[in-house]
Amino acid sequence: MRAFIIQHLSRAWSSGTVLAHLFTVAFLLAWWGYSFIVPAYQLPGPGLVATRAIAFLQDSDEFAQLLLSLAHVSIAIAAAFVIGSLLAALAHYVRPLRLLIDGRLTPFLNAFSAIGWLFLAMLWFGLDSFTVIFAVTLILIPFTIINVRTGLQELDADLIELGRSLSRNPLQVGVRIVVPLLVPYLFASLRNSFGVSWKVVLTAELFGGSGGVGFLLNIARQQFDTETIFAIIGFILCFVAFSEIILFRPIQRHLDRSYGRV
Amino acid sequence: MSDTAGKPALLDRLIADGTIVALIVVWWLIARQLPTYVLPGPYDVLQSLARFVTDGATAFNAFVSLTRVVASVLIAMVMGVLIALAVQAAPILNATVERRLLVFLSSFPSVGWAILGVVWFKISTPTVLFIQTAIILPFCIVNALAGFRQLDQELDEMGRSMTRSPVRRFFKLTLPLIAPFLVAGLRIAYGICWKIALVSELFGASSGLGYLLMNAQSTSDAAMVFACCLVIVVIYTATDYLLLKPLAERFSVNQGLQT
Repeated sequence: MRAFIIQHLSRAWSSGTVLAHLFTVAFLLAWWGYSFIVPAYQLPGPGLVATRAIAFLQDSDEFAQLLLSLAHVSIAIAAAFVIGSLLAALAHYVRPLRLLIDGRLTPFLNAFSAIGWLFLAMLWFGLDSFTVIFAVTLILIPFTIINVRTGLQELDADLIELGRSLSRNPLQVGVRIVVPLLVPYLFASLRNSFGVSWKVVLTAELFGGSGGVGFLLNIARQQFDTETIFAIIGFILCFVAFSEIILFRPIQRHLDRSYGRV
Repeated sequence: MSDTAGKPALLDRLIADGTIVALIVVWWLIARQLPTYVLPGPYDVLQSLARFVTDGATAFNAFVSLTRVVASVLIAMVMGVLIALAVQAAPILNATVERRLLVFLSSFPSVGWAILGVVWFKISTPTVLFIQTAIILPFCIVNALAGFRQLDQELDEMGRSMTRSPVRRFFKLTLPLIAPFLVAGLRIAYGICWKIALVSELFGASSGLGYLLMNAQSTSDAAMVFACCLVIVVIYTATDYLLLKPLAERFSVNQGLQT
C-alpha cells in the first residue's frame, strides 16, 4: 500500500501536477501575506474577496448583472458569427465581391480599434445594452471572417466534386458536405470569439453600458471598492477558464480526432 | 486557391473601390442631415485628421501611443521567451505554466488590468506599459512555447557538439529556429495591443491616442473620435504592411520547404 502511494506520488511529481498545485498554493499564500502589508483598498486579502464574492452571488440584483453580461456576450458572438460567416461566404462564392471583402473590408475592420467602435456607438446610440452589443459584435466580425474564409479556402475540392456528382442540388451539397467540412473552422472561430468577447465586453459595459458587471466595475472603481473589483474579476476568470476546460477543450479534442488526417 | 495568382481583374477593382467611393458619398449625404456631434461628414473628419499633421501636440499623442505599443510588445515577447526557456530547461514546469499561468493570464479581463494598474501604480507611462504587457503576455507565451516545442532535438545536439557556450547556442541556433513562431506572436500581440490594450490609455495616461479619444468623447467632438479611429487604422495597417508582414514572410514556418 505504501509503495503504491509513493509510486503514485512520484508519478504525479514528475508530470508536474504537484508543482502546479504547489504554485497555486504559493500564489494564494503570497497574496494573503502581501495583503497584510498594503492597505485593503490596494490589495484586499483572499478572505475579504471570497466574502464579497459570496455576498455578490446571494444578492439577486448583482447576480442579474452577471447574467446580463453573459447575454451581451452571447448575442454579440451570435451576431458576429452570422454576419462574419455571411461575408466570408459572399467573398468565396461571389467572385466580383472578393476583392471588396478580402482586400478592403476585412483589413479595415481588422485594424479598427475596439475603443473606437465603442466610442462611436456611444455617440450614436447612447449608453445602453445595444451600444455594448454593437461594439463587441464589430470587434468579433473580422476574426470570424478570417476563420471561416480560411476554412472555405482549405475545403477539399475533390470532396466537393464528389458531392456534385452525387447531387445536383447546390443546397444539398452545401448542407451535407460544405458545412460538415467547415465545422472545425466554425468551432475555432466561436472559441476565438468567446475569448476575445470577454476581454472587450467589460470595457464596453464600463464606458457605454447601463448594466452588466462592467457597469458595476465602474461604480466600484469610483468608490475604491477594490474587493468588488477583485470579486468580479474572479467571476470572469473562473467562468472563462472553466468554459475553456469543460466545454471547448473536450470538443476540440473530439474534432481533432474525427477530422485529423492520417 | 487556383485564381489568386496575378493582379485582380479590372472589374474587381472597380467594384471594390467603387463601393468604397459610394459608401463615402452615402456617408456624406447622411451626415448633411445630421448634426456634427452625431455623425460628422467626411470633410469634418478630414479637418480633424489634418490636425495630426499640422498640430505638433496632436501628432505627439499618436507618436506616444506607437512607442508604448512597441515597447509593451517587446517586453511581453522577451518575458514570453524567458518563460518558454525556463520550461525548456525544466520540463516539470510545463504543467504550471500551461495549466496555471496561461489559463490565469488569458482569462483575465483586460479592463481588470487597467483598473488594477491605476489602483496600484499612479497614472503614468510605466502603468500603461504594465497594463498592455499584462494583456498581451499570454499570446506571447503561447507562441514562444509552440516555437520551443517544435525544436529539432538533433539540431540542438549538433549545436552542443559545436560549442559549449549555451548563450552562443541560444543566439546562433535556437533563436533562428523559433523565429517564425516569435514573429507570428509579435504580429498577433501587436494587433491586440492596438485594438484592445489601448484601453490602458483611457485610464492610466494623460497622453496618447486613448487619452485623445477620451477627451474627444467627453467634449462630444465626434469628428475627432472618427479621426483617432482612422489614425489607429492607418498606423496599424502601415506598420503591419511595411514591417511585420515582410518579417513574417522572411521567417515563414515553411521556409526551405516546397510549398
